[in-house]
Amino acid sequence: MQEFDVLVIGGGASGLRAAVAAKRAGASVGLVSKVHPLRTNSAIAQGGLNAPLARDDSPDSLAADMFIAGDELCDRGVVKAFTQEAAKDVLWLERMGVPFNRDKDGRLDLRAFGSNRRNRTCYADDRTGHIVLQVLHEQFQREQIPSFAEWFVTSLVVEGRTCAGAIALDLRSGKLESFSARSTILASGGFTRSYLPSTASLGTTGDGQSLAYEAGARLMDMEVIQFHPTVFPKKQGLLITEAALNAGALIVDQNGNSITDLTGMPRHKICLAIQHAMQNGGGSVSLDLRPIGKEKMRGYFPQTQELLRTVAGLDATKDLVPIRPLAHRPIGGIETNGAGETSVAGLFAAGECACNGLNGAGRLAGNALTEAVVFGRRTGEAAAKHAAAGSKAAFPTAKLADEEKQLARIFSPETSADSLGKIHSELGHLMNEKVGVIRSAAGLQEALAQIQTLKERYSKLRVKNPSRIYNYELTSYLELGSMLTLAEVVALAAQARTESRGAHHRSDFPERDDTNWKSHTLLSRAEGQPRMQKKAVAAG
Amino acid sequence: MQVTFKVYRKDPEKDGKPTRSNYTLELAEDATVHDALLKIRDEIDSTLAFRASCARGYCGECMVRVNGSARLACTAKVPDYLKKGPEISLDPLRNVPVIKDLVFDWDAFMWNKIKQVRPWLEADGSAVNGEQPVSDAAMQDLRKVMSCFYCGMCDEGCTVLPVDFDFLGPAALTKAYRLAFDPRNKDSREQVKIVEKPKGIWDCVHCYEADEHCPRGIEPTKRIVALRDQAFKSGITHEAVARHHASLAASVKESGWVDEGRLAIESEGVTNIKGLMKLLPTAAKALARGKAPIPFMHSKRPEADRIKKIFEKAEQEEK
Repeated sequence: MQEFDVLVIGGGASGLRAAVAAKRAGASVGLVSKVHPLRTNSAIAQGGLNAPLARDDSPDSLAADMFIAGDELCDRGVVKAFTQEAAKDVLWLERMGVPFNRDKDGRLDLRAFGSNRRNRTCYADDRTGHIVLQVLHEQFQREQIPSFAEWFVTSLVVEGRTCAGAIALDLRSGKLESFSARSTILASGGFTRSYLPSTASLGTTGDGQSLAYEAGARLMDMEVIQFHPTVFPKKQGLLITEAALNAGALIVDQNGNSITDLTGMPRHKICLAIQHAMQNGGGSVSLDLRPIGKEKMRGYFPQTQELLRTVAGLDATKDLVPIRPLAHRPIGGIETNGAGETSVAGLFAAGECACNGLNGAGRLAGNALTEAVVFGRRTGEAAAKHAAAGSKAAFPTAKLADEEKQLARIFSPETSADSLGKIHSELGHLMNEKVGVIRSAAGLQEALAQIQTLKERYSKLRVKNPSRIYNYELTSYLELGSMLTLAEVVALAAQARTESRGAHHRSDFPERDDTNWKSHTLLSRAEGQPRMQKKAVAAG
Repeated sequence: MQVTFKVYRKDPEKDGKPTRSNYTLELAEDATVHDALLKIRDEIDSTLAFRASCARGYCGECMVRVNGSARLACTAKVPDYLKKGPEISLDPLRNVPVIKDLVFDWDAFMWNKIKQVRPWLEADGSAVNGEQPVSDAAMQDLRKVMSCFYCGMCDEGCTVLPVDFDFLGPAALTKAYRLAFDPRNKDSREQVKIVEKPKGIWDCVHCYEADEHCPRGIEPTKRIVALRDQAFKSGITHEAVARHHASLAASVKESGWVDEGRLAIESEGVTNIKGLMKLLPTAAKALARGKAPIPFMHSKRPEADRIKKIFEKAEQEEK
């Protein structure tokens, strides 16, 4: 059995930041990640991190832009903490070695990005996530924190409403191991692989949200999923940073006419405009990167240019890039407060798997990475404090044997005409079709019925590969289980919210309804069934 | 299109001997090797082990050899590999311990080596209150180096690693460069001291294969050369190779050509009795054949002073 004060699950930006913060606060820390930290989904973030550093900027200005993007669903206390601490946390990253782009005086170059009304986005070319992740991993290594990379968490251990740690499978040896911890932090990322195509990496399957839900934690605002407007939609989906729009790129319809000026609009509005243009014209929408010019393209968007060439076979300086809004990042997640505490004692969550009301119904472009470092740090510190203060819940050692039995039940040599890939593919298309940018009661009803069918098909499937060493059929099986669980939660929450707000758009309820819906949705499991509650938006 | 994949297999739970499985499948015209692997695992053989993460060229996790060449499975388009017929071979990277099928040991291959170079920046201790201005030129160079996505192609192409697997290799040395050349690092000599030890920068043979292989144009060899220069500049030159460099330069500067006797002695180190003793048999043999260069009794070549001027000019420019 492994024992730590703080166990971090997830090796992306928020997990690494939380681990470093907890260690520096004096806790013993271990980090479990199903892929190596440098292969996590944080690496694909491009645009940058917001920090109110400009002379004409302030925490209040940042907050004002967030309230617009969040469409009045933001919890003000959390926003206040975030906007006041963002600059310090971004400067910490700079101090630790992120080679941000600089202006001619050597100061951080702040660029216009998305619907920010000030220049406040710090960036490292168009690979900010990749580079920030490397620097966080450097500091993680500096702290000599034990890293369990390529370990897959199969369950959280919760005894009497208190989390005592987790059980994880070592992919390399095939062995299950107990991780006893005073505080457990979920930093396991989003779940937009339940949409196909989407902008997510293969592992972005909502394992953490699903584990927390199973363990009795509440999920908040799960219906709110941010779609990214400018994504090349073939194959896995290739995101082109919105910074391209700020640099002069245009969104054009099939006749090459620019769709009214969308630059500076919140993401959900751009997505809706594109979706409408596609439906009305019945045709395609493209991104015209040519106005950026060759030199600026090479200088500021080298990765975009490279990936368009290698993945899409397109020349950004010559060709139009077909685009479509695709599921990008969930805004909903495990309900937490500003310190990352969930509704289960000893269980914390940070980053994309968590939802603390910061983003309301729409995340401001450039906030995701800042959120990962601000709340990663805050959660790491709070988890260390909790570990130091509380008495330790005994880890029920029998759980490991139970888990072994549980796992054994999944295996069977029987072949089947059905497969994990087929179910996943159907789920992904269903979610894009019926639980996508535009939703309706009828569509959601149909989605729920089909998700039920997919769940039944899933329950009949077994893992044929009997080995436990690098058994990716097994991990895919567990991941698909999480995605199906969350798909149902998302559709239920979307069905409940009978209004349009931020990224949640209902064709049958096209207006915002502040009388009934200035509140969050909360979903938890009671007696095996999903239970919906509402929580008023916190004003203070 | 119908394609047959001949895939390297190894099962650590059986005898661990490599075999090959053939899978024939129908694929769309725009399929990538990654698409094919997923399809094989989902529909034909769920025991096939391979890694992947971002699936669109960002992360470097799915490295595999396609018809012998190292590629990212997720960006390798199947039709590009069918010119000689409808068969494609898939193998793990060369010279790397394989764990299972296409899953090889990234830890031994790269991650553990990166760990050896103290891969983090030591910030100076003062509190974070405000920006530290630095030039964008310095940052731009670091951004280029940090565009590295750890695909391992430089190490895969390296000509030293097949002979000496303990060589740090271009990926780890490039990481050391990122830290040694960051003006914000409190003690950038740390990394130079580490990579200057055996299995580090002096073991590189400048074959430039790493530069040829790097898909991002980071030029790892250039970074290794820069680290060597940095070692000289900061006076970390106690290794034999560094002494060799210094002696060679000094004798060419003074005489216009290499004083081989002096080079041998100074490379070993004039106080290194044990090392010098090792030279004796070679010296004796050379003496017997009348070919022994007498150290420090070395005549200048014609127009040696012109060569000296070139040195002086270069030294002046360095300053």
